[in-house]
Amino acid sequence: MTYSANTPEGTRDRLFAECRDRRRVQNCLTALFRRRSYAEIITPEVEYYDLFIRSGNPMPQEAMLKIIDRSGKIMVMRPDCTTPIARVAATKLKSVPLPQRLYYNQTVFRSGDAHRADSSEIAQCGVELIGASGKKADVEMVAMAVDSLRECGLERFHIELGHVGFFRSLAAGMDMELHETEHMRRLIEGKNFAALNDMLEPYAGKPACAALRRLSHLFGTAEVLEEAQRLAADSKDLAYLRTLYEELRAAGYDEYIRFDLGLVHQIDYYTGVVFRGYVEGAGDAVLSGGRYDALVAAFGRPAQATGFAIDVDAVAACLPAAALPALELVVHYEDGLLAPALAAVDGRAAGTCELSPCRTLESTLKLAREKGAGAVLVVEKNGRREVPL
Amino acid sequence: MNGRLRIALTKGRLQDRSLELFEAMGLDCSPIRHPGRRLIHSIPNYPLDAVLAKAPDVITYVERGVCDMGVVGKDTILEQGRSFYEVLDLGFGRCRFALAVKEGSDFYGTYRTRRVATKYPAVTRSFFSKKGMDVDIIRIEGSVELAPLLNLADAIVDIVETGATLRENGLVPIEDVAQVSARLIVNTASMKLCKAELEDFITRCERELSNRI
Repeated sequence: MTYSANTPEGTRDRLFAECRDRRRVQNCLTALFRRRSYAEIITPEVEYYDLFIRSGNPMPQEAMLKIIDRSGKIMVMRPDCTTPIARVAATKLKSVPLPQRLYYNQTVFRSGDAHRADSSEIAQCGVELIGASGKKADVEMVAMAVDSLRECGLERFHIELGHVGFFRSLAAGMDMELHETEHMRRLIEGKNFAALNDMLEPYAGKPACAALRRLSHLFGTAEVLEEAQRLAADSKDLAYLRTLYEELRAAGYDEYIRFDLGLVHQIDYYTGVVFRGYVEGAGDAVLSGGRYDALVAAFGRPAQATGFAIDVDAVAACLPAAALPALELVVHYEDGLLAPALAAVDGRAAGTCELSPCRTLESTLKLAREKGAGAVLVVEKNGRREVPL
Repeated sequence: MNGRLRIALTKGRLQDRSLELFEAMGLDCSPIRHPGRRLIHSIPNYPLDAVLAKAPDVITYVERGVCDMGVVGKDTILEQGRSFYEVLDLGFGRCRFALAVKEGSDFYGTYRTRRVATKYPAVTRSFFSKKGMDVDIIRIEGSVELAPLLNLADAIVDIVETGATLRENGLVPIEDVAQVSARLIVNTASMKLCKAELEDFITRCERELSNRI
């Protein structure tokens, strides 16, 4: 069996409308990012495997596409954009004053399971705000997330906020073994209501138990903050989420804001507020991000940071489909008349008019018919005429 | 979103028990019981549409978000589940995953790398990797019990309900790998975008399940 005419599983050729839709989303997002003074960074497509180990990145090694270089070092196709940017911020931008606002428009590579139609190449656009912490930085990032999806033309979506500190401090009050805490975290992450209840049965006496039992139910509008308040009155993380919400509401973002206090994924990577974006029409989150205060420090420069990434193609798939422009006119021109012929093409809407490479008018007419054009424009020494088909 | 939820039900034994549960919740399941040629069945007195599928497909439909919910066995979830919410243990379809060997054989008493036949390679791999044991796993599609009898494998990991098939073939279960029952799973985005509708359904399920105990 030969593979010369096929693309590897997980990759695909993207044609015409797909390219246009991807570029449209990328253009909307990068225009917004630049307007807010985020500067673009392009990092290599290939990095050392060790980079992602050092970062404490929670990605399993089997999800990374690996290459061995000539000296035997293991390299990976960039599995995530934030880690290389943290490396740059800690090294090449060492002497640049913080905060730094950075954005990227790059592909990440992940090796998925066979036969799931998962793409190994994921086009991502995202921002990182490095060297800023506190309410203003977090509010800016959540507002950026809302504005990003709005900028793309989406209307029915939610940005959902959580805080890893809320779970951490509840869990700390339980005196559990590490593996039990991890088991509990998984049950909360999976909204495994019944199993979580059973698991917490022996801990019923602990004050944090009631809140943990409810944790996977605590998602939805800002009302969940009130319920959480009753369960864990003294949580400073909850109070912080409330201040963020007040700030976002004052700025008119509240209709897009939801909460999920059971958002406890990647808690060793994220250090504060985490968020995800859900759009009607997409089966999974299209935007994901949060505060990661330890990552840049792992490369030698203590700098608190927050950011998010958007799955560009997932957003594009949620936008109303528009037809590609159809070819209307083919231009046939006599030798020496390239300039007026090109002017005729340039004067029309993109994709509706093209030059004929044919020598004779007969072959141009034949070509135009094959391509379904409505007419041929003939550009001659003594003027121009349109031949309808 | 037309305001209706869509659920994928695992065909076969779990399907009957799912319909019993839904009917006890007051849902009119007659369109699913008398399907005709239709593949998507609308419940007339509740905003729910149902499709019937093989267990692994139920997971695929829910993960992809083409169905908001699914009823599927924990065995399939353990073997190939990835990202969805597993909200309820529906209590029916109970059985267990067990490691079974030929009667009288000593599975653990040798340093030789043992060979295990199963329909569930991922479950088997994870079970032995937790023990720090290397085993060779052979994937079998049909009657797994045959593998030890033909000396293809030293043991099997399979679903055991009554244990009758094992006994008749001279095999004995020596260790439980996991308990299995039917679960209600929910797509992550649906959970967020159709919270009220899904909570209504889940609460009705919970109420009926607690009546049963």
